[in-house]
Amino acid sequence: MARSVRKRTLRRWRKILLLLALATVLLIAEAIGSTALFTTGLATGWLLLVLVVGLALYNVRKKFPFLPLGSAATWLQIHIYVSLFSGILFLLHLQWQLPRGIFEIVLALLFSAVFVSGLIGLLVSRVFASRMSIRPGEFLFQRISPMRHQLLNQVERLVIQCMETTESTGVPDFYARRLKSYFERPRHFWHHLILSNRPVSLLLSEIQSLERYLNETERDVMRQIGEFVKQKDDLDYHFAHQATLRYWLFAHVPLTYALLCFAAIHVVLVYAFSGALS
Amino acid sequence: MPTSETPIRRITPDDVPFSPDFSDADLDGLLEHSVFDRLDPKYRGSKSLRKTLRMHSRIVHCETGDIIVREGDWGNSAFLILAGEVAVELEAPGEFISETSLGRHKPQRKNLFQAIAQLWSNHQEPEYRDASKKAWNDKLTAARADGRRIYIQDVPQIVDEFKTVSMREGELFGELAALGRTARTATVFAVGKSKLLEIRWQGLRDLIKKDVGIRALFDERFRSNALRSFLRGVSFLQHLTLDEEKLDLLVREAQLETYGEYDRAGSLKQLADEDAQRNLIDEPLIAEEGHYPNGVILIRSGVARVSRRHHHGHQTLSYLTPGKTFGFEEIESGWQSGSSVPFRYSLRAIGYLTAVILPAALIDKVLFQTNSAAVPLREAKLPEQLTSLQANDDGLIAPDFLEFLVQERFVNGSATMLINMDRCTRCDDCVRACAATHDNNPRFLRQGPIHDNIMVARSCMHCQDPVCMIECPTGAISRELDAGEVAISDSTCIGCGACSRNCPYEAIRMVEIRDKQGLFIRAEKDRKPITKATKCDLCVDQHGGPACQNACPHDALARIDMGEVATLAAWLDQ
Repeated sequence: MARSVRKRTLRRWRKILLLLALATVLLIAEAIGSTALFTTGLATGWLLLVLVVGLALYNVRKKFPFLPLGSAATWLQIHIYVSLFSGILFLLHLQWQLPRGIFEIVLALLFSAVFVSGLIGLLVSRVFASRMSIRPGEFLFQRISPMRHQLLNQVERLVIQCMETTESTGVPDFYARRLKSYFERPRHFWHHLILSNRPVSLLLSEIQSLERYLNETERDVMRQIGEFVKQKDDLDYHFAHQATLRYWLFAHVPLTYALLCFAAIHVVLVYAFSGALS
Repeated sequence: MPTSETPIRRITPDDVPFSPDFSDADLDGLLEHSVFDRLDPKYRGSKSLRKTLRMHSRIVHCETGDIIVREGDWGNSAFLILAGEVAVELEAPGEFISETSLGRHKPQRKNLFQAIAQLWSNHQEPEYRDASKKAWNDKLTAARADGRRIYIQDVPQIVDEFKTVSMREGELFGELAALGRTARTATVFAVGKSKLLEIRWQGLRDLIKKDVGIRALFDERFRSNALRSFLRGVSFLQHLTLDEEKLDLLVREAQLETYGEYDRAGSLKQLADEDAQRNLIDEPLIAEEGHYPNGVILIRSGVARVSRRHHHGHQTLSYLTPGKTFGFEEIESGWQSGSSVPFRYSLRAIGYLTAVILPAALIDKVLFQTNSAAVPLREAKLPEQLTSLQANDDGLIAPDFLEFLVQERFVNGSATMLINMDRCTRCDDCVRACAATHDNNPRFLRQGPIHDNIMVARSCMHCQDPVCMIECPTGAISRELDAGEVAISDSTCIGCGACSRNCPYEAIRMVEIRDKQGLFIRAEKDRKPITKATKCDLCVDQHGGPACQNACPHDALARIDMGEVATLAAWLDQ
């Protein structure tokens, strides 16, 4: 395992070094161009547009799994490192200054939002994937909701049975007050993402505290419910991670399309007013 | 349940004979032939034989030069020569006429337009089938029936130029590959006009069951025809300068052994479900740790487990796939030290296994007394020849993981889907890609047993010994001729579910088929929905190989041939 981690790190460093080398070449070329009084803004702008369009093609590639276009893994690696390069190019295109004018500000914000959402996506896909292996169970995302309902039904059945046999409201009251809402929908989303067990520990300790007021039958029921609480917590944990891994794309992809539209308008505007550049 | 307005007749095994043109008169004529004289007279006159032949055989007429079987193709049937003459090429692999002359071409793939058209032509309804379409999806011999002959020209020159052996009326060929579920070892072509009886392997299986002499005949034929080329492929014999005389001696003295039950898919499934130690005890023992070796064991087909005693149980160390050997090191050490060396490990058959045993005395006589075998053998070992035992010893594959692979019988796979769960983001791009390439129907489940961080997904592994094929009554599930992928012919699948029940890995799903409106297509007779068996076909008709593997953005999914231990170790180590 240690050897494979070393290999991966080595590969990553090789790519980062290549990226830094390219960025250095870019910075030198821009400096030379500026000294020679070339309009470097046009060159960096076009290059940036080409890169952004190229990056957006990654999503198109996913729609064609039946064509021999190379593996998605290779595309993703290229996507990541070209994105990082485009970030440097973007700053260079802005000449390390804040943009002026509402349109340019919106365009820059869009680029930044796409870039940052991409970085977040990269981070979550690297971190959350391995996190899911540390909790028991492996759940298909689409099956989590039905499984949650199944748990809810099992708990409700237990509570009703308990009420009928003991003629006591201790367990049903606690269920209505604390457990129903817990089993009904995904809970503690953010706590799961920061690996906090606090809410479920609290709930389990409440269950334990309640046991001193219950008879043997009720205690047995509460112990079974405690197991269901843990199972539900595992489901929520997987839901929180899988949902984040899926839904970050709902920001990244639409923002990319918006960026492409704004960039196209930006090109038209630049050429419409290019007299000012010459 | 909403069902289609136009029910169809449910096909039965009788609807899918090997040849629809095999008449009663043909059958009567065939049974009169002298080649059936060797059968038990009682069986020869039985209805059972008639049914077997009617269902699983057909008459094939060949013109001069027609290629009947090609070396490397996966065998699904055997041939009995009824009239005429055929020639079997005896050249070393790759030295016969070119692949293109043999009519071998890449599998039929969708063209670029057809591939792109999947974007809009895939059906929205799951498991759509055009019930009006009737297609017989057979391979080489069907092509011959269509008038597309695959033949070689100038047969006399070929016979002069290359080493061949002639076979005439009454002789049988192709049964070893068909029964062993392995690849053909030689190319056979017609020397003149010939008439052959082609029997698919289901028919051979029935013949073996019903007539005791047939199995003995097949063993004898293996010794006389295929053992020589098999021995040439064995690594420690390859590096020796074997002359024909020594090879003859090895062929004469070699013992042929089978372990496990050939037509019991259930046993493999049951074994995979049982607990580890019980499982191991139930596996037929081939060689036992501590016992002195009688010979070198060469695995011909199937998979074997190598284990050693560990406290009160057995620890799995590796697995052996066809072509691998067991016991050579012990015999070699014994020869060097001058005293017998016992087996260091035990060897057990996982499912059905066939082996060739070369007696120790023979090894001593043929190899050690005349050659310094050990040195060239060890020097010749290349990294790609890494065995699972070495991988275990070198720490390339964790012992627990190896135990898991053998315990669950995943070592049987030639394209096992492994997913690294530390990398998998559960994005399901693999499932979507699979669906996109299969008319919107995913052909695997991204679920399955997990060991440490590796999941073995429920996808067809295209087993080395595909036990799913055993009980298929129509031969709908078979190996593709070229690459040997296990594929299901939708048009000849009768939906009996035998393959699905027999698959120990739950990789074959029975689905209820639908029409254009998404309504279930039902049978005329019982009004029940028509079912078909479905599974991964490794995207044989697509460009670029398995879509699932190509679609994984995180390099988390791979299709691994478990016989390629070096590939497995490299993937685990990436």
